[in-house]
Amino acid sequence: SAFARCREEGLRSLLYPVSSIGLIPREVTWLLLVAKTSLTSPPWPEVKLPDPVEEAKYHAEVVQKVNKMIAMGQYGRLFAVVHFASKQWKITSEDLIMMDNVLEAECGDRIRMEKVLLVGADDFTLIGRPLLGKDLVRVEATVIEKTESWPKINMRFRRRHNYQKKKIIVNPQTVLRINTIEIFPCLS
Amino acid sequence: MVLLSAPRWLRSRLTDRFWRVQEVLKYARHFRGRKNRCYSLAIRSVRRAFVKSTKARREKKRFLRALWITRIEAASLEHGLKYPSFISNLLKSQVELNRKMIADLAIYEPKTFKSLAALAQRRRQEGFLAALGDGKEPEGIFSRIVHHC
Repeated sequence: SAFARCREEGLRSLLYPVSSIGLIPREVTWLLLVAKTSLTSPPWPEVKLPDPVEEAKYHAEVVQKVNKMIAMGQYGRLFAVVHFASKQWKITSEDLIMMDNVLEAECGDRIRMEKVLLVGADDFTLIGRPLLGKDLVRVEATVIEKTESWPKINMRFRRRHNYQKKKIIVNPQTVLRINTIEIFPCLS
Repeated sequence: MVLLSAPRWLRSRLTDRFWRVQEVLKYARHFRGRKNRCYSLAIRSVRRAFVKSTKARREKKRFLRALWITRIEAASLEHGLKYPSFISNLLKSQVELNRKMIADLAIYEPKTFKSLAALAQRRRQEGFLAALGDGKEPEGIFSRIVHHC
């Protein structure tokens, strides 16, 4: 081939590979004795993904290690990102949470929060896409208090038009204490 | 005999003016100048204060979101990614953390944020490769490019 001929003739230094620009076939095209111009390679940096087989091996290894760590209990304090009351909260154990609405549970009831988006410890994090499985994480909380917010004043006023309205808004609030966050070694 | 109309010397007079005035002045006690003492000046300032707080409650949400976006942008630039590509690639990888959460993670959990940035970067590269395609020409087209082989 052309490459072999050039190598014999000792012209290897003048050859360089040109990767595909979309319309040229995938195999590397060797251009002989042509200067490198601004259009020989595409202006974006070439992106190479790692080998899928090796990557799969690496992933399996990491999953196994994390599973072992969880099974042995080699983590300290866990934090979780939970979707609750249409908001996302970053919580740990012994945390207090206040929601601006009513929860249909009495004071002292134990609640399990099911929509967990992320769980992490010091050495590893489990990111859910978008949620983590219920058999993987367990977040428990207790309802502590059900009160009302401080009276917020809603006022509208238009000057010179004798228009003003005043309304006092009091929202019901619920306070929860996060008891525990537990993870189980069932990664695959 | 029953008196059907009240006599002229009977007037209905305001007896709790003091408390009505105090209701307004209690919201003005921390103001500066005479408007924390004098009712006519105070009632105007208190009205303006209430209206401003009402409007601010709506703008606080916008302001906080802009703050989170700034923080996420700063943190992702530290890891070599720009904010739009970071957020779009995270969403394409089906990670549905909102901006408040990502900003909190960037502050308090730097390792987790680094892994999120790596995830976004990887998804970005996969997107580029998918967009570039196979590099083969569509069939049945006479190409003007000369192939050296």
